[in-house]
Amino acid sequence: MCAQPVTNTKEVRWQKVLYERQPFPDNYVDRRFLEELRKNIYARKYQYWAVVFESSVVVQQLCSVCVFVVIWWYMDEGLLAPHWLFGTGLASSLIGYVLFDLIDGGEGRKKSGRTRWADLKSALVFITFTYGFSPVLKTLTESVSTDTIYAMSVFMLLGHLIFFDYGANAAIVSSTLSLNMAIFASVCLASRLPRSLHAFIMVTFAIQIFALWPMLQKKLKARTPRSYVGVTLLFAFSALGGLLSISVVGAILFALLLISISCLCPFYLIRLQLFKENIHGPWDEAEIKEDLSRFLS
Amino acid sequence: MVLKAFFPTCCVSADSGLLVGRWVPEQSSAVVLAVVHFPFIPVQVKELLAQVQQVSRVGVTVLGTWCHHRQEPQESLGHFLEGLGAIFSHEPWLQLCRERDSKSWTCKATRRQTPTAAGEDQVLLIFYDQRKVLLSQLHPPAALPDRQAGDATPSARGLAVVFDTVARSETLFRSDRFDEGPVRLSHWQSEGVEASILVELLTRASGPVCLLLSWLLSLLSAVGSCWSRLRRHRGEQVCFWNRLKAVDPSSSHVPPKVGTGLSGSRSERSVPQLPRRPVEKPVRHVAEELQHLLQWLMGAPAGLKMNRALDQVLGRFFLYHIHLWISYVHLTSPFIERILWHVGFSACLGLTVAMSVLSDIIALLTFHIYCFYVYGARCAVLRAGGPPGGLYCLKICGLSSLWRLFRGKKWNVLRQRVDSCSYDLDQLFIGTLLFTILVFLLPTTALYYLVFTLLRLLVVAVQGLIHLLVDVINSLPLYSLGLRLCRPYRLAGSLPRRPADPPLSFQMQPLPYSRVVRVYRLPSCGCHPQHSWGSLCRKLFSGELIYPWRQRADKQD
Repeated sequence: MCAQPVTNTKEVRWQKVLYERQPFPDNYVDRRFLEELRKNIYARKYQYWAVVFESSVVVQQLCSVCVFVVIWWYMDEGLLAPHWLFGTGLASSLIGYVLFDLIDGGEGRKKSGRTRWADLKSALVFITFTYGFSPVLKTLTESVSTDTIYAMSVFMLLGHLIFFDYGANAAIVSSTLSLNMAIFASVCLASRLPRSLHAFIMVTFAIQIFALWPMLQKKLKARTPRSYVGVTLLFAFSALGGLLSISVVGAILFALLLISISCLCPFYLIRLQLFKENIHGPWDEAEIKEDLSRFLS
Repeated sequence: MVLKAFFPTCCVSADSGLLVGRWVPEQSSAVVLAVVHFPFIPVQVKELLAQVQQVSRVGVTVLGTWCHHRQEPQESLGHFLEGLGAIFSHEPWLQLCRERDSKSWTCKATRRQTPTAAGEDQVLLIFYDQRKVLLSQLHPPAALPDRQAGDATPSARGLAVVFDTVARSETLFRSDRFDEGPVRLSHWQSEGVEASILVELLTRASGPVCLLLSWLLSLLSAVGSCWSRLRRHRGEQVCFWNRLKAVDPSSSHVPPKVGTGLSGSRSERSVPQLPRRPVEKPVRHVAEELQHLLQWLMGAPAGLKMNRALDQVLGRFFLYHIHLWISYVHLTSPFIERILWHVGFSACLGLTVAMSVLSDIIALLTFHIYCFYVYGARCAVLRAGGPPGGLYCLKICGLSSLWRLFRGKKWNVLRQRVDSCSYDLDQLFIGTLLFTILVFLLPTTALYYLVFTLLRLLVVAVQGLIHLLVDVINSLPLYSLGLRLCRPYRLAGSLPRRPADPPLSFQMQPLPYSRVVRVYRLPSCGCHPQHSWGSLCRKLFSGELIYPWRQRADKQD
């Protein structure tokens, strides 16, 4: 090959293959070597206010945890009568239930095929089991130290916040685990309350705020974004107000946390997009674009 | 070339004559069995050897000459002995000579067919005790040359040949010095057969005599124990009736003779009531100890944080059970005592029977501990919400399945793996509620389970020890051990010790006791523990019931 006439080399084009012998030195780099390089082809352009709107889910969940803890503190101190909390919770649950159907005009209910009788049955199961187990819950952690219970609850609520389904598509997300951790924390905290009625109402409230309220939120967010923003603001301010009545420092810290999550983090995310350097090319792993579902059935 | 000549110590002081024995060409060793004294007729010697060879199937030949100089050495005798080699041709021809001072020996081995200087070999003289070698058995027995010659070491094989030769040529030792035969021999029995006959008779008779003696002894002891029991029993009856009389003033005028007669006639009724104490007392004591233990558990044992309500419930349940057990023992102790009293007679059948009966009695009297153990295991199972079909399933089976639910997973039975699963809201809620409750109640149940399992393990260990003892007694080779103790040479070890002195003597090294036990152990009944340590721990952890030495075929229950 090396002995080929020099006149032919002009017509020989460089090829990016290794299986052919080519009349170029080993360190030769052609102009076309990196012409298939692409940068940031999947990068998204974020709008600031859209990101702020999406971050409201996190704010909502933080506020839920905050409201739950504040209510538990009031109950523990004896400042909040359990009957009042039960009445309020029942009323808000009924309103939420009506709203849940009104928002999409019963469309979601038809799609899921869930009857009202099933809803009533679930509610009865909740109430019955919680009421039946409330004396057990009351004496469950008698001999366990209060600090242990607090630590366990804090870990469980943190886990609830970490594993919650905020709409991201990640492996860590597990709404089941998140809900279970919240219930575990609520049972732990409820066992510290003075009477079994308190424990019963606390666990019921936990179900309302951790299981039912996010479902309504999701529907609100999908159907009526404006009202969702309003509800979020209202909820955040009420949580802040509740925390303010307990501890000023805590309220200030919580407000800073909320502001940083809803305003600072989106801004930072958009700024960081400028530094994105994703390169793509023919060396990427193969991606199967074809729909394979017909083979699976 | 070195020849080995095995020479019997009993022939050391024999008169001059011919050496009769066997030549082992593979080992190049000569085993001298006896000495034929002068005078003899060579034809008769050959006939005798042919007879012996026919009976014993050992190649007994004339190996050479033996010369014992009691007086001054005679030149003519030497020539005569030289000449004998021509009559009894053997290759090589041994010439052993012992001088008068009995210290110096001369050994020569000549080969006639090779008339060179190399025809004379060196001879290594090894003395052996013919009687001991005849009576003893070489270990391992598999090293005998006619069975497996290949796998034994050469030295062991050579020894085995010596043992075999001596043992098989017993017919040679039939005749003694006082026999009027054509040939006079000198060997271990040549001093007279009578003594050995006496010994033989004694050994033959010792077996039946020992049996008879042991039988008589056991009979005596049994009769003695029964007599003592009966006497104690009777004494208690008399005491009882005396007490009764002391209590009842109306019967005080009854003559004592009538009182004893009354007790004799009423003994059928009074037997079950009286000897209650020996059984009831320890049982009651154990039950009281258990009550203390339960009361300790119902408090705050070792500073553990138990759930007080569940603790009280479990403690009261077990206390009630102990109460039931005590009253049950109180009710049945007369019958149990009577049964035990009769079962005690079975001790006449031997120590192992008595120990087995003891093991069974222990199992019977610790039934409440077994019950507690079963309750503890099952209680833990039920409490953890295990499936109703499998009471022997994992104690924490329910907890583990609830833990899977907690993580949003489930066990896929078809694929034998953990899959993710989407649960309903109410399922999640109830599962988590139960999970929380179980997690906080687990220490309490686990502690009860632990304590009762330890008690159960104690009982199982005691029973296992008794079983082990019975097994050892059953399989211990008493006769071989006794033989080893009284006649160590009867069980010879494989390799004799080699002394440092030049006149080598063949010393029997007795078999060590451990090897005696290993070789002669009787086949035991095979009561081996069912579990290895690992599986035992796993079963204890998972709450499966353990049994000491047997296992039920069907565990489904």
